[in-house]
Amino acid sequence: MEKTIELKGRIDSSNAAERETEIQNQLNGFDGEVIFDASELEYISSAGLRVILRVKKQFPSTRIINCNSEVYEIFDMTGFTEMMNISKAYRKISIDGCEVIGEGANGIVYRTDPDTIVKVYKNHDALEEIHNERELARKAFVMGIPTAIPYDVVQVGEYYGSVFELLNAKSFAKLIRAGESVEDLARQSVEILKTIHSTELKPGELPSKKQESMKWVNYTKDYLPAEIGEKLLKMFEETPDTNTMLHGDYHIKNIMQQNGENLLIDMDTLSMGHPIYEFAAIYAAYIGYSCADPDNAAKFFDIPGEKCIDMWKYTVKYYFEGKDEQYVDNIIRKAAIICYTRLLRWYATKKSKEDKEAQAVIAFCKNYLTENVPKTDNLYF
Amino acid sequence: MDISTKKDGNSLVISVSGRVDTVTAPELEKRITENIDGISELVLDLKDMTYTSSSGLRVILRAQKLMNKQGSIKVTNVRDEVMEIFDVTGFSDILNIE
Repeated sequence: MEKTIELKGRIDSSNAAERETEIQNQLNGFDGEVIFDASELEYISSAGLRVILRVKKQFPSTRIINCNSEVYEIFDMTGFTEMMNISKAYRKISIDGCEVIGEGANGIVYRTDPDTIVKVYKNHDALEEIHNERELARKAFVMGIPTAIPYDVVQVGEYYGSVFELLNAKSFAKLIRAGESVEDLARQSVEILKTIHSTELKPGELPSKKQESMKWVNYTKDYLPAEIGEKLLKMFEETPDTNTMLHGDYHIKNIMQQNGENLLIDMDTLSMGHPIYEFAAIYAAYIGYSCADPDNAAKFFDIPGEKCIDMWKYTVKYYFEGKDEQYVDNIIRKAAIICYTRLLRWYATKKSKEDKEAQAVIAFCKNYLTENVPKTDNLYF
Repeated sequence: MDISTKKDGNSLVISVSGRVDTVTAPELEKRITENIDGISELVLDLKDMTYTSSSGLRVILRAQKLMNKQGSIKVTNVRDEVMEIFDVTGFSDILNIE
């Protein structure tokens, strides 16, 4: 249970005792989490801080929300921010007259000044999603992964927004459209990929891809002949649960180039695990999603289909440079097995699972897995 | 952006002024790598730096990685507006800022 108590105006030695009595009256017999809403708090002195401290002793999970910058600084300087959960109020901004530079499924992106953009979420309760995406981007950023600066979370009218650094960049997909060499861009994309995969995290720091993948296989196995399903499940179980950073959605629409520097966007799929999962997702983007409709990847990336296939070929070629053809073919098969295990579940749980496309994908995945699982000993490298 | 460097034995002070963005960051990186050999104490004086984009932050991050192998690095005289960028990105937790 939660109880919100508003703190208003100035709290200092002249009124702290009075405030404390009021607060204690409200908390009489209460058991749960106390939230102090500091939206209208202008100043708090040491006498006021002691009142908070005593409440915190009675109710250890007490937190303070919506502090303005000055009040937050008081809590920060006195060490309160390390002792309890205290958060700032969201900065309020207006997007009146701002240029719209993009619109996605869950929000609209505006340019707010020459250096920043704000993504305003259509969903009123997007806060958790925003914080989640920002936290992932921030982690990647301080670990040296080239990405845009995630600035603060803001309030835009009754909606929430997330402020990012503006990139004057072109996606690799756009560069391919403009005639740049697929092989060259694939080589550059591998460089960043290797930077990501050389980043070791602490256990639990990012979501585990292995854990997620177990959901796929536990569903998909029942669509396959028993023996195949069991072997597939065993191979998923045996894949090491490593702490390697993975991007999770690594393709030419998410890799950007700005003045010769390559950057990544869309960090919300950041996770950790064995790099084979990364290759499974890359395979899905360039090859797998087109298994029933060969034009899928071409439509999604807006480049010719054969260039999507080339992109995949060169990505594995340069990532595994120096390895023989059989080694690389094995890895491709492993990536494809993971990809189709996931795809089968995805289509089979869709509302449209009865439609023609879904049926075709499910049939393709079943065939592929039935044929290739017996040839495979494990799913890692 | 303007950069000036001052070497004194094993210590090097690099002063940066103006805006460090995607256009100017490579120049900063170049000046650091050109001068960093044999340096055990690197100071980045940001007194007149008014803005840094992610490109500039990455240059600082790489300088920090280099210096971790051969000595120490600190960042001094950070202006409020730049400090805000350090804070929001989590850089203030990983840099030695004075």
